[in-house]
Amino acid sequence: MSHKNNIIVRIAGAAGDGIQSTGELLGKTCSRMGLHVLAYNSFQSAIRGGHVWLQMAIGPEKQYDHGEEPEVVLLFNKTSPAVHVPDVKSGGIVFYNAGTIKKEEIESIRSDVNYYGLDFKAMVDAAKLTDVNPVMINVMLAGALVQTLNLDTKVTLEFIKDKFLKKGEKVVELNHAIFNLGFEWTKANTKPLELKLKGDNKPKLFMSGNDAIGMGLVAGGLKFYAAYPMSPATGILHYLSTLAHSDKLIIKQVEDELAAINWAVGAGHAGVRAATGTAGGGFCLMVEGVGLAAMAEVPVVTVLVQRGGPSTGVPTKIEQADISLAMGGNGEFPRFILAPKDLEDCFYQAVRALNIAEKYQVPVILMSDFFLSEHFGTVDDLDFSKIKIERGKLTTEWNGKSNEKYKRYAYTEDGVSPRVRPGTPGAMHLVVSDEHNEYGHLMSDVEAGLPHAREARIKMHAKRMRKVELMIENDDAKPPILEGDINAKTTFVTWGSTYGYVKSAMMLLEKEGVKTNHLHFTDIYPLPREKTLALLKKCKRLISVEANMCNSLCRQILTETGFEITEHINRWDGEPFTGEYIVNELKKKFAPKKQLANV
Amino acid sequence: MTINIIDRKDRPALDPKEFKGDVHPDWCPGCGDFGVLNCLQRAFAELGIPQHEIAVISGIGCSSNLPGFINTYGMHTLHGRSLPNAQGFKLSHHDMTVVAVGGDGDGYGIGVGHLIHALRRNIDLTYIVMNNSIYGLTTGQTSPTSALGMKTKSTPFGNPEAPLNPLTLALGSGASFVSRVFTGNPKQVVEVYKAAIKHKGFALVDTFSPCVTFNKINTAKFYKDSAYDLNAKGHDTSNIEAAFTVAMKIPDGTEPIATGIFYQSERPCYEESEKDTLSTPVVDHKLGISEQRAKELKARFK
Repeated sequence: MSHKNNIIVRIAGAAGDGIQSTGELLGKTCSRMGLHVLAYNSFQSAIRGGHVWLQMAIGPEKQYDHGEEPEVVLLFNKTSPAVHVPDVKSGGIVFYNAGTIKKEEIESIRSDVNYYGLDFKAMVDAAKLTDVNPVMINVMLAGALVQTLNLDTKVTLEFIKDKFLKKGEKVVELNHAIFNLGFEWTKANTKPLELKLKGDNKPKLFMSGNDAIGMGLVAGGLKFYAAYPMSPATGILHYLSTLAHSDKLIIKQVEDELAAINWAVGAGHAGVRAATGTAGGGFCLMVEGVGLAAMAEVPVVTVLVQRGGPSTGVPTKIEQADISLAMGGNGEFPRFILAPKDLEDCFYQAVRALNIAEKYQVPVILMSDFFLSEHFGTVDDLDFSKIKIERGKLTTEWNGKSNEKYKRYAYTEDGVSPRVRPGTPGAMHLVVSDEHNEYGHLMSDVEAGLPHAREARIKMHAKRMRKVELMIENDDAKPPILEGDINAKTTFVTWGSTYGYVKSAMMLLEKEGVKTNHLHFTDIYPLPREKTLALLKKCKRLISVEANMCNSLCRQILTETGFEITEHINRWDGEPFTGEYIVNELKKKFAPKKQLANV
Repeated sequence: MTINIIDRKDRPALDPKEFKGDVHPDWCPGCGDFGVLNCLQRAFAELGIPQHEIAVISGIGCSSNLPGFINTYGMHTLHGRSLPNAQGFKLSHHDMTVVAVGGDGDGYGIGVGHLIHALRRNIDLTYIVMNNSIYGLTTGQTSPTSALGMKTKSTPFGNPEAPLNPLTLALGSGASFVSRVFTGNPKQVVEVYKAAIKHKGFALVDTFSPCVTFNKINTAKFYKDSAYDLNAKGHDTSNIEAAFTVAMKIPDGTEPIATGIFYQSERPCYEESEKDTLSTPVVDHKLGISEQRAKELKARFK
């Protein structure tokens, strides 16, 4: 009999039940075994009392989807059964805390799944364990899970040791004992799943998108990060803060987002690689500062992690509706906008953002979203040796011999002026938010409207905007990537984290004999018009998939290329797509008879 | 006290002319801001700080045009945002002398949130607020320091709001250097600016800088008639209660207006908390991660 090699697990309970630590234990066990994991956290903006769950897909290959129906679930509190038992795959397994959930109640929900209640108190009492805290049921249920999934116990016990050793040997022993109680009980009392989860034994990184962005920034030479806490961007601040001393970084929580962007601009002008990060609401406050960076020609990276909007919106849910915000600001100015698609990409695009900012002396906006930033998953490796730090026309030398006065905004063919770092003898200058001449002298006040000031305005504005074309000429602004069968009748169009879900949908469709392909945008602005248009025109039927109502990416494509995409799959309830969700939408919307042959 | 990472060398004086910018100020003839510019140039020159080691960073307003008229490095940023830019700049290149400048609208109105936090944070920089109790560049509206009842274009029936007191605000926000000067007394202005620049921490210098065009109340004569030098009268600058007592007097001309250094404390500046990182200026740090460090960074996630 062949065993399945992948599974979906869900862990649910109240905030404070230890859902995250159980998830970490399972995730790290799998990643250390060389398995791939993708975990989606569903939680509320509440510290205690909210109902939270985590769904994890596990398998030997890279996971693109956390899936719909879990096959094994762990339920911690009495709210859990009614919410989660209906979702369990028929024939699946439900482990629950018998101390909080009544057997008769849970079993009355449906009869086609297997229920196993673990009586924590009775079991620890029988084992005569002391100093036990009721929250440790999470370790016992983890034991049940590791046994059911037939994972490597040694790996889990090692992880528990790593995690608790700083609290002392006794704590490690107690956790091991409780884990074993759950493990042995499950071995004796349950029917094993027909499952063989086999990894490649190469330990993977188990991390979140915010961790990967933070690590990418540091790898790319970031020295300065100022931010104001805002979900779902705060994780970047948390991660970078832990490295402040070891890696000699300036990581500052400042008083608001107005401060955050302006601290970063000040630092960027001083000559360090500087960034800030926030969600859409915070970015609204930063927009004037982004314009300052563009006008003053100061490199600065802003990470914009999207959540449900407008206003405070839905802090802990996904939405992809902030492209027009990232494109916003008063006046016309050059900028670069890019959006990573998965955890690895978060790392590499963060490096790229820093390089582009300095090369073109512009603000760069790195767009993530709640799912991408906050979900955990495995990454095979991150290759630091690939990283090149390119600082563009930055110099600390100025030849004052010729007595020539330094022009910070010298007109150049490519629109990028040599940038002498402040502190360099002889090259004193001012960077400014007003319109100015080559020296940075203001042309906006007493001289405004005079013929030479009008000429300077035309030339300086054109110089700045020249950089947008230059990004395209240099191939730094890349066209979308077309993946899959070139002759497929249907092309999905995506950006950001939706990439993975469409990839998963395509695999499901392929099983049904339907071939599709996939046009994915990483660079959002500027778009290389000709190359992008050529790709769009090559596709037979384009269907966008975006986590929003109003097709933010399609509008951007229309504005930048004149090409209109007219068919869309949208989701804006705050939950991320799944492959199955996309396939179902496709069937509903585009194949009335639920036959996909014509898609 | 801990060893301060900020080195204050005694250096030979420079010629103030070397600090003259290429652009002639566009302020109204007689504007107090000319005095601020001259005194700041003299303070830099007397302290012997070379031009390239200085950054003057402003917000927006008449007075915020000052960095354009002085031959140093500088930034002319957004309305209210001189201090965030200046603090980001300073921590990145802490061996430069950073002076933030701007008006009362910039610092006490739109940017006052940043001021409070800069005061308590105590990064080693100087903040000169050219306070004229009016919005000049926007042609004469009420400012946070306009007197109660003052008629302006936006308050034709008299300002209904009590003025903000920058000195008590600063003292109450953890300031380590609080002072006030009047441009009509340049000798004192230069001395206080020098003391503020030399102070190891955040130094606020509220500078009465009369607007000759839009404020007919707080004129040069108004201040000349009532200003006196607090420090000449034996004021104890280390006593915060004494500082509060003097600072609480509203400078409306009904009694003598104190100028000089109100308060100065030696509490460690912010940079002390980042001593290791700032052992060399951050701008000079080598960028990138070594192979060994990359392994360690990744190990945390395994």
